[in-house]
Amino acid sequence: MTIKINNLTKLYDDRKVLDDISFEVKDGEVLAVIGFSGSGKSTILKLISGLIEADGGEIKVDDGDIAMVFQYSALFDSLNVFDNISFALHERKEFRKKYTPEQIKFMVAKCLEIVGLPGIEEKFPHELSGGMQKRVSLARAIITNPKYILYDEPTAGLDPIASTVIENYILRLSQDIHATSVLVTHQMSTIKRCANRVIMLYNGKIVFEGTPDDLIKQDNPYTRQFVTGAIDGPMKITASSF
Amino acid sequence: MSKFNIIFRETATYRFYKLFIKQMREFLETVGNIALRLLESLKYIFTLQFKLSEVIEQSKRFAIDSLPITLTIVAMTAVIVSIQVAPELVKQGGKDYIGLLVALTMVREIGTIMSGFAIISMIGSAFASEIATMKVTDQIDALRVLQVSPIKYLFVPRILAGTIMMPFIVVIASVVGIIFGGLTAQMTSHEVSGLCYYTSVWHGLYVRDINIALFKASCFGGAIALVSSSCGYEAKNGAKGVGLATTKAVVWSFVTIVIIDYCFALFFYF
Repeated sequence: MTIKINNLTKLYDDRKVLDDISFEVKDGEVLAVIGFSGSGKSTILKLISGLIEADGGEIKVDDGDIAMVFQYSALFDSLNVFDNISFALHERKEFRKKYTPEQIKFMVAKCLEIVGLPGIEEKFPHELSGGMQKRVSLARAIITNPKYILYDEPTAGLDPIASTVIENYILRLSQDIHATSVLVTHQMSTIKRCANRVIMLYNGKIVFEGTPDDLIKQDNPYTRQFVTGAIDGPMKITASSF
Repeated sequence: MSKFNIIFRETATYRFYKLFIKQMREFLETVGNIALRLLESLKYIFTLQFKLSEVIEQSKRFAIDSLPITLTIVAMTAVIVSIQVAPELVKQGGKDYIGLLVALTMVREIGTIMSGFAIISMIGSAFASEIATMKVTDQIDALRVLQVSPIKYLFVPRILAGTIMMPFIVVIASVVGIIFGGLTAQMTSHEVSGLCYYTSVWHGLYVRDINIALFKASCFGGAIALVSSSCGYEAKNGAKGVGLATTKAVVWSFVTIVIIDYCFALFFYF
């Protein structure tokens, strides 16, 4: 279950967000994608999930369901937690045929248990905290037993403890269901704890590829600037970086 | 770039044409998107790929939420027509035609178009802002990642609800309009009796008029749902984008139903 990206190019209004980049995500691996805001990290996730089309290059994804955990959870606010998590099972023909309502109930309860939120099926998204919404979003992502999970800044906007809880679930999910994952994040703690490998984007190009340890130890001016958060360095901060 | 080009780009004429071309492109894009979404919706409708429970849910919203305001607007319009017309017709010796005139106005035009306007403001704007909010909060993207078509899940139930419920609303609104018109006519002149008014209602009102009105109402309902949902679906850039999409939905829906109304008048009454 691998994702192969070859010579991928994406333009937004004539601006090259991704410029001829190639990389591979191996079976069961968690790949972290880092870089400044606007460097094309989320664009990579949208391209892999098929939400947008590339302007050049190709994305090869082996057969299997792709799930995505969005930056702001993207829970359906008119539906309660149960309906949010079971949404795909109710709406997609192949799942409707496969599972009975009792089985779906059991599966939702199990997914909520995995993310540490048992018994909140009847609650609506607006009744949940940001961290809880992220965990419900995780539960919605894993209920179809996906082969690939894409995380778009899963710990953004959360306090350090809530971030650690989410990181634990990401680790657990990659180990338990052996999903191939792509993780977009800014947080070093998330990279260190969850990722097997890291790529760094700048100006549409990959400027670093290695392990989380390499990210800290290697004498790469780009990664050094990212890790230390220095304003001066090879990466110039522009208006689009904010 | 030559000096002439630089100067030319600063001229009002250049800016006007640039703006005009941009507006035209946006207009054509919106029309094209609405047409594509209509085709996709029809594909799901004719292959029966929709959830009946969702259609019923949207139908309830469409009919129940909009009915009070629709009835108020149509009844008030009927009262105004009656106040304006009844005394004049009585003076000219045409008291037997007051019911006919009010009924024809209600069934052929006012009942349908005023209901349409009321529904655009109540339901069309709600459809647009809901879908726009879903768009800017990534909920539509979430639907697509979960491999559920947003057109099938969001557009089809709304279009069906509009197409099915609008004729019922128009019938109720027109009847209420005719009754209120009659009551007003009786109040404005002692020469107009209830019997005289209601007898004249049936003098010039044919089944054909009612059928055309029902068909037109159905087209209005479907068009309002489609255009509003489509404009909401185009939203981007946060809260401001939701506001712009809702405004666009209301304006485009108004224009669409007026164009449909014009086509009906041309085709059936010209």
